[in-house]
Order: sequence, then structure tokens, then C-alpha cells
Amino acid sequence: MSSFVWRRAAAVSRKEVFHILRDPYTLGAALVLPVFMVIMFGVAIEFNVKNVALAVCDSDQTQSSRRLLDTFGSSEYFLIHRVVSPHEAVTDVSAERARAALIIPPRFEKDLFAGRAAEVQMLVDGSDNSTVGPVLGYVGSIQSIASQRIAGFERPAPYELRTRFLFNPELNSRWFVIPGLTVVVMSILSILLTALTVAREWENGSMELLLSTPVEPLEIVVGKLSPYGVLGVIAVTFVYVIARTVFGIPFAGNIAVFGLGCLLFLVTYLAQGLLISVMTRKQTIAMQLAMMSGMLPSNLLSGFIFPIESMPKFFQYFTMILPARWFMRIARDTFLEGSSFFELGGSFLALSIFCVLMILVATRRFKRDLEP
Amino acid sequence: MNFSSSETRGNESAVEVQDLSVRFGDFYAVNRISFTVHSGEIFGFLGANGAGKTTTIRVLCGLLRPTEGYVRVAGVSFDHGEQAVKSKVGYMSQKFTLYDDLTVEENLSFTASLRKMDTATYVRQRQELFDFISFDRPLNTIVRDLPGGTKQHVSLAAALLHDPEIIFLDEPTAGVTPASRSRFWSLIRKLAERNKTVFVTTHYMDEAEQCDRIALMREGKILALDTPDGLKRSAFPMPMLEFDPKESLSFADISKMSRHEVFLFFEPYGLRFHASVRSEEEWEKVRPFFEKTFNIRRITPSLEDVFIHTVEGKVP
Repeated sequence: MSSFVWRRAAAVSRKEVFHILRDPYTLGAALVLPVFMVIMFGVAIEFNVKNVALAVCDSDQTQSSRRLLDTFGSSEYFLIHRVVSPHEAVTDVSAERARAALIIPPRFEKDLFAGRAAEVQMLVDGSDNSTVGPVLGYVGSIQSIASQRIAGFERPAPYELRTRFLFNPELNSRWFVIPGLTVVVMSILSILLTALTVAREWENGSMELLLSTPVEPLEIVVGKLSPYGVLGVIAVTFVYVIARTVFGIPFAGNIAVFGLGCLLFLVTYLAQGLLISVMTRKQTIAMQLAMMSGMLPSNLLSGFIFPIESMPKFFQYFTMILPARWFMRIARDTFLEGSSFFELGGSFLALSIFCVLMILVATRRFKRDLEP
Repeated sequence: MNFSSSETRGNESAVEVQDLSVRFGDFYAVNRISFTVHSGEIFGFLGANGAGKTTTIRVLCGLLRPTEGYVRVAGVSFDHGEQAVKSKVGYMSQKFTLYDDLTVEENLSFTASLRKMDTATYVRQRQELFDFISFDRPLNTIVRDLPGGTKQHVSLAAALLHDPEIIFLDEPTAGVTPASRSRFWSLIRKLAERNKTVFVTTHYMDEAEQCDRIALMREGKILALDTPDGLKRSAFPMPMLEFDPKESLSFADISKMSRHEVFLFFEPYGLRFHASVRSEEEWEKVRPFFEKTFNIRRITPSLEDVFIHTVEGKVP
């Protein structure tokens, strides 16, 4: 009784393409959104903090204290302005004229020469978490440089810690963010658009008319989803090309491995969108569920912005049931580390399991709803 | 359309239903109904919303599995949903007709592809159907831009594209102008002349009047099934009278009169009243009394009278 006919699936696809072409919003979402997001994330969002306003109160006014300040000033991380008293420095920080304050006490050089530990106070505005980390990092590295300069080379440090960052030597945040965007963009396109398109057929009653013809449920699924699969592939290609050309992000891995990850993730989310639309049958509810189950996790819980390692234990385990988390690994590692398929074996295995599971659940549920 | 094949069907029944029930949970949408529709007949289902008309049609089109009963449509028997029947029947639903954002041609060719028609057959059928519905607009007109009546006609063409033996129309004229309705019904009659079986649901009385036979439905049951004239005769064996008040009457007066024992029923009909009496002799006795207040004339009952009488059961 059931026999899959490609021609009918193709007819459904063709009709879906007409729907997409006539609807500027869908087309816009598919083509403009990825470009917009990559540019927005690439240009506007900068995790590297530069030009931090630093209020400096130098009560010592000696050669040593000036050397210390020079070191701060010559790094491009701080913009120094001088204040006359420690009190004024604190006021500047609380009035947000400065992000941090450096207070050098009067006995700074004297203590140095006397071989005592000279103390310098650093005040950092803790209300903005995102700057504290980088600022402290800079201070640490400046401190070691300054100590050497001030002390000359008379007393070499007993050991020297040389740090080199692998895979992203300049710690460029774009390198980190943009490969992750492939996950976000695909999750929006696949899950949301699919959920909407199938829910629409239920809502306006056309599903019933489709079913009054000899068309099979599987033909409807394949026909309706494949155009969105193609849209997803186009969108990822956009992201990839912009990442490589506009932002000069290197792609160290194998493009086929990355492509396989994309496809697995895409199919998983298409199936999830289908499941949502079968369950809700209403466009408005389908949209909300798609946001909740697809887009929010891929933004917040996939490690896109917030590292999974720093989440509470529960969430670290919870993210394991999110396909987005595994694809995020694949996308980043193929881009930056050039990981091979076998190095990413775990992620691929997890993603494949979700993919097969989601297809099974969605098509079974879909068929059960359609068959009389 | 290839109408010649219909001759071979003879007077075989197009639809046969025996003891059909459809249950949703504890609710019987259709409750043990049986009927037969003859080939080439216009068969009407008349009933209020929720009477079970659409549910019955969905079963007959193979869209819904019957809970119990035997169904035979266009020579295909089944007691569950059946793919084979789908190629022999056409269905026009009340809820959805055509994709608004697609052109006329895109809609029709989509239907044709789903039904695996080859291009030559499709183009020939399309042209014949356009002649049939007198469609003369460009093929690439977006459906949204069509007037409501024309959209209804194109939708009928889509349902007829694969030349079905039986066409199911579920409230096809809901929401179109009266002029469009009458044009649509002339198409339905033309279909029947060409020996297609037309199965139509409606709640317009004037449309029901044009059916060969009508089934009156209420709460999942068929209350009566006959030709419009037959229904009128069996519902009103006694003559029908129309009462036209000479002056305006109070509610109290009317309700008093409507309870007079000579009447089988006495119902308002616009500004007038329709009534039927128990017997001619009794009526002649009280007639002078009523003629003081009303101009009275004999009428043939309308289908609306039958409907109110039978379906709404407003009879003592």
C-alpha cells in the first residue's frame, strides 16, 4: 500500500519553493539573516577588551613609578588619565569615568631600593564581569614586564612562565565566535522554518486536501523539508565564505568533516521542526516551541557564548542531550584545530544518534497523525 | 472530461453505507447510518454544524477510519481508510480550497502531479474544465487576486482534474455571494447531466431544494432521506397554511394561538406564520375565528418547514 513516488515528493517540493519565493520574510530570513548575524557578531561583539580607562594616582613621582606607568601606557590595553589623590581615583571608578584605578604610594621607589616588597594598589570595577577577567590578565602580564624593567636584569626571576596560545595565537574572539555562528544560523533556519511550514498546512486545512489525493505521508515530509534543507546549506555556505574572506578566519580542518557535521545537524533539526509542527498544528505555538527547544539552547547552552565547562554540573550534563552542543564542537574544532573525523568521533556519534532518533520519532508521529 | 465511461456504470450505486459509526472518544460523530447514493445523482446532506456531515464525507473519501460499519465507494469496499478510493473520488473541503500565494496554473499542476497525471492529459483536462467553468483569466493569476466565486470554480476544477466518478463537495458555497452560489449550482447540475455523482453538504435550503435526494442529519443520525417533494409529503401530510396578520399581534396572542389544538404546528416565518392542521373538518370549524385576525392561504411547504419540523423537532 505504501510506495514512495519521487514525482509526488518533487511536486510537493516545487510547491514549497513557490511558497518560499512568494514570501519575502522566509527568503529574507534564509539569505539576509546569516549575513547580518555574521557581520554583527564579527564586528560589534568583541570579547577582547581594549582601551580600558585607567585612573592613575602617582604619589611617588620617581623614575621607578614612571617606568611602571610607561609600561601600562605603552600597552594598547589602557588609556591613562592622571588624578591627584587616591580619593579622586576611587571617585572616577564609581562615576564610571574609569574602569580601573592604579594607586602608587609615596614610598614605592624607596621600598624597591631597600629590597622590601613595594606595594601598588589596583582597583577594578567589578560590576562589569566581562571586563574584569581580561583586565586582570593584562595587569598580570604588564606586572611581569614592569618588574623586569624596573629591576633591570640584575635579579632574574627564578623561573619564567612563557604562555603561548594554540590554535588562536592572538586570542581573537572572532575566530572563536564566527565558526559557532554556523550552529546558530542553521538552528534558526531549519527548526523554525520547518515548524512553521508544516504547521501552516494543518492550520489552513490544506493538509486534508493533500491527503485526499493518493500522496503518501513520507512524500509530504521529504517534499516539504528538502527546500529548507537546501536553504540551510546555502546559509551555512554564506557564513563560511564570509568567515573566510571578510574576517580572514583560517579553516584548518577537513571541509568534508565539517560538511558532514552540518548535514547531520541540519537533518536533526529539520526532523525536530517537523515533530513540533505535528504536535502543535498551530503556527504561533510552533514558533514558540521552536524558539524554546531549538534556538535558545543553541545560543545559550551550546557553548556558543558561555563555556560549558563553567556551567553548573547539572547543566554540563544537560547540554549533552542538545545536538547543538555537539555540532558546536565539530564546527569550532574543524575550523580552528583542524580536528579529523576520528578526533571528533564522540561528537559525531552523539549527533548521529540524535539524528536517527529524531527522524524516527518525527516521521512515526507524523504518519500516525495522517493515516486514517 | 471523459464523460463517456459513465455509461458503463449503469444504475449501479455510487456510494453504499451500512451501519457506519465514527466515534471520537465517547462522542459519536456519526451513529449507525445507512444509505445508498445512485450513480449520476445529486445527493445532499442537510444539517446543522456538528451534525456529522463532514465526518461522513471524510470517511467516504478515505481520510478517516470508520469505527464500525461497511462502506463501498465507487466500487471499492473498505472498513478502514483506503488509498484506492482516492483516485476515484474528488473532494472539495469547506475549509481550504486553493493555495492563495500560488497561481492558478501552479495549483492545478500541483494537484495533477500528486495524482501522477501525465502532462498531455493534464493540459487537456485543464482546458476542458476551464471551458466547463467558463474561466477566461490568465493562467498565471495569483489565486489571492481571484474573486471569491471564481476561486470556488477553480477549486471545483482542481477537484475534478483527475476525472473522478464521484465528487464530494463539503459546503462548497460557504461565504460566496448569492449570484456566485447560483452559478456554482448550475455547474453542479451540469455535472449530474454528464452522469457524475455529486455528493454535497449544505445548510442553504434553496440549495437543498435542487438536490435529487436529501438526507437530513442531526447528532450523527439520518432523520429522513427522500426527494425534496417526498420529504415535504411525509413531513406534512396535511395541507400547509400561511397566516398573514392583518394587524400587529402581541406575543401573548401568538403563543395562545400557536397552542390551539387544531394545529400540528404553528411557526413564525418572517412576518407571517406557517402552520399545518390535524384534519380538514376540524379546521373548517375554527377557520372563521382565525380569519378575523389573518389573511389565510394554502401553500406548499418549503424545505425550511421540513427542516424545522424534522431536524429541530419542534412538534408536540
